[in-house]
Amino acid sequence: MANFVKGHFLITILATIAGLFVYFFLHLERSWEIVLVVGLAVLTMVVSRRKNLIARAQETCLQKPKFSISVFFVAAVAIIFALRSEHFALLMLTTVLLYITVCFGLTAQFGFVGLVNFAGIAFFGIGAYTTAVLYQYAAIPDFLIILASGLVAAVIGSILILPILRTKGHYAALITIAFGVLFRTFLEVNDTLGGPQGLKVDGISVFGLSFNENINLGLLGTGSSYVTYSILALVLCLVTFVFVRRMENSWVGLNMDMVRHDEIAAASFGIHPPSWKILAFTLGNFFAGLAGSIYASMSGFIAPASFNFADSLVLVSIVLLGGLGNVFSVIPAAFLVVVLPEKLQLIQEYRLLIFGIVVILILRFKPSGIMPRGARRYYPSLGVKK
Amino acid sequence: MDLGFLAQFFVNGLVLGVIYALVAVGFTLFFGVLDVIKFSHGDVLMLGAFTALATYLGLSDIGVAPGVALILVFVAGIAGMAFVGAIVCKFLVLPLRGAPQLNTLLITLMFGTVIRESVRLFYPSGSNPKPFPKLLPDNAFEFGNLTLRLDSCIIVLLGILAIIFTQLFIQKTKFGLAIRAVAQDEETARLMGVNFKTVVLLTFALGSALAAVGGISTGLYYQEINFAMGLMLGLIGFSSAVLGGLGSLYGAIAGGFLFAALQTVGAVWFAVPAYKDVFAFAVVIMLMAWRPTGLLAERNEERV
Amino acid sequence: MSLLSVDRLTVSFGGLRALDEFSFSLSEGDFVGLIGPNGSGKTTFFNALTGIYKPQFGSVSVDGNDVTKASPQAMYEVGVTRTFQRLRLVPSLSVFDNLIVGSQRGLNTNLWWNIFKRAGLRKKVDEELSRCSDLLSQFNPRLVGTLLSPVSTLSMIDRRRIEVCRALISQPRILLLDEPSAGMTHEETRMLMEDLLTWKERSPSLAIVLIEHEMGVIDRVTNRCVVLNYGKKIAEGEYQIVSQDPLVKTAYLGEE
Repeated sequence: MANFVKGHFLITILATIAGLFVYFFLHLERSWEIVLVVGLAVLTMVVSRRKNLIARAQETCLQKPKFSISVFFVAAVAIIFALRSEHFALLMLTTVLLYITVCFGLTAQFGFVGLVNFAGIAFFGIGAYTTAVLYQYAAIPDFLIILASGLVAAVIGSILILPILRTKGHYAALITIAFGVLFRTFLEVNDTLGGPQGLKVDGISVFGLSFNENINLGLLGTGSSYVTYSILALVLCLVTFVFVRRMENSWVGLNMDMVRHDEIAAASFGIHPPSWKILAFTLGNFFAGLAGSIYASMSGFIAPASFNFADSLVLVSIVLLGGLGNVFSVIPAAFLVVVLPEKLQLIQEYRLLIFGIVVILILRFKPSGIMPRGARRYYPSLGVKK
Repeated sequence: MDLGFLAQFFVNGLVLGVIYALVAVGFTLFFGVLDVIKFSHGDVLMLGAFTALATYLGLSDIGVAPGVALILVFVAGIAGMAFVGAIVCKFLVLPLRGAPQLNTLLITLMFGTVIRESVRLFYPSGSNPKPFPKLLPDNAFEFGNLTLRLDSCIIVLLGILAIIFTQLFIQKTKFGLAIRAVAQDEETARLMGVNFKTVVLLTFALGSALAAVGGISTGLYYQEINFAMGLMLGLIGFSSAVLGGLGSLYGAIAGGFLFAALQTVGAVWFAVPAYKDVFAFAVVIMLMAWRPTGLLAERNEERV
Repeated sequence: MSLLSVDRLTVSFGGLRALDEFSFSLSEGDFVGLIGPNGSGKTTFFNALTGIYKPQFGSVSVDGNDVTKASPQAMYEVGVTRTFQRLRLVPSLSVFDNLIVGSQRGLNTNLWWNIFKRAGLRKKVDEELSRCSDLLSQFNPRLVGTLLSPVSTLSMIDRRRIEVCRALISQPRILLLDEPSAGMTHEETRMLMEDLLTWKERSPSLAIVLIEHEMGVIDRVTNRCVVLNYGKKIAEGEYQIVSQDPLVKTAYLGEE
């Protein structure tokens, strides 16, 4: 009983600390403050790693997944609430959450079945453009528009499935790179999609409550219009997280790992590698499309310039940086990669250069990433000594 | 559309084809010896062009004659990129031999980003396009609607010479033999006393030198270079090498011209010329679905 | 009717006939040794049989049903499993993960079920865990404790055992063993073979084909052996008789 309570207590503490870090990271503006927060976070990580606290904390959370998720969800909502009147901080938080969602999908593609997708931002963009077009031409509920955006991304992605299945390794990588570049060029020259100027996007509104207007929080004052979007993004991110984690910790994840490591051995034991590649690829693109849709509504305006090949590289960097295949690691990696350059003006200009160097160092010296992937845990108490 | 116009498209396509072939040959050489893709190749090309430009600016400051400058510009670009190619190979490609193949692609992709960003950030006003000096005679001959520029002809000739040189080097010299031996079977080549590392480094130097020729040619042709040109040219070179079949020299050359042909057809076909790249890449993706290992390469079965 | 019959099976790569009109049949309970010099087509035969290579000519049937052009997955479904000469386990995955892959046929891999029916999954995992423990304990009881550790932490012989167990866990009808003794000592090979024979006593209908270079092993465990040279069958019969065959002697001596 005491142990039971201790576990819950520990998780709560953990979520509080993480929440505070994220809050200050988003809230503070001066460069030295940001450096301080990040330094403190890194220091905490290093010290807890020394004392093996990270592994223990992770283990505790893994044993109580439902409780952990609820607590971290509450912490995230609390952050949003605390930032309710800060437009820029919320905008960044929402962007990070959407990037994380895309990266969960990329993890399923790259980390699970081993298909590297260099067109991540293109599928995000397909979702965004679908949303823009649907708002313009179709009168369907917002919820369906988001869903449709994900579906369109998945369907367009399926054009690439045949060439990707028939090719391997480098050849498959080339196909996604070519597609990413092709998509960007296409947007630029296509006049119906607004060309280089892009398109205006209507915001979401639910029951007459427009997501793009500031909301009245009663006694708590006025909330930024981004509050609703950040909550929406949070929910999407959470659902994707649970989905991908469950997929990993199941026979599906096992088969995907087999496909990534050894297609011949997999085939000899009845696994059909193409099916799993199609599943992971389609799911990943679907998630990217959903995230892109929310991004479009939130920004109110989209243009080809937001969907560069370099952005796809940033997405792949996030997935690699954290630890390929480790779903959790995407979260801190995305915060660092997306928010840090925005916060530190000094870095902003040099951000691609810095990512490039960091990823080179990671690949060269620690290819499994900062937080390497753990063993598959089919259910929370698997392997726990009673 | 009259014959003159078509001939014009053909000539322009020819120049592009030679440049693409130069890039593609590099990709195919690297793949031949190490089974890797060095994706920084396009950015090495761009760096070669910038090195040449900087050299030219330096030389013109001290008043070197344009003819001499032209040669020195090429020497600087080629030597510089050969060195960069060998460095990339030594510090980024060879150490990753045990890791999954894709890691090499990723690390060089990132290195390409580093080169690109470095030029953008650290070359004086590097984010703007730079005029490239006219070092070749720009006489033009008019045949009806066809304008044949002398510099285009020289570029084509130069590119073809560079490719023939590479081909002869690989076919006729002892070092070329070593390269082919390593490409065939690394283990056996080692046993036969081939210094594997030297051969690989030299191959990377050779391929990167060709990229420099491609970069300088691009500069001479368009009379303008910019920091981002390498990404697209690298991608096109990669696509060309893949179209021909990675590892095949003739395949890469054919792939380069094929890609230029696709772009030309795309430009003629669509009213909007910008669609030419969309068209070319779409066809590349389709061709890969049809012939996954390229149009000319043999199919290789995986060993079990 | 024989369990497996192979008729004039031919596999060629370019101009080379790696397997040349090879005919062979297997009945339930057989333990057949497949021997021959390096490059004589033994592994090629396994690859053709498991659908990894597509034969140019000839036929393969299991229980009289034609499976000549069947996919690897279909061959697994009819009950043919194998081990590989170079181990094909995934070192970073746990022993359990590696083993349970062999049991693919019994796993529900429907996405919906795997995501939403977690209680069912949990029950199934527990069942499979105990099945794997039982199986492992027949080969090396110490391995049961390593079920959730990565394969990379195990010794060579234990990895071999796991690969054999992966092929056995689905209770196949035909087991193809591709040089299980490679990289192991005589003593380790002996232990592995003893365990295999014990297993075979319990499931007498299992037919095994064993590729092996150690003739002592072939002599001791198999009841028949087939000799391949340059893709052709040059002899078949009991080891003691076959080993006296002049053709076989030349094939091996010519190799030396």
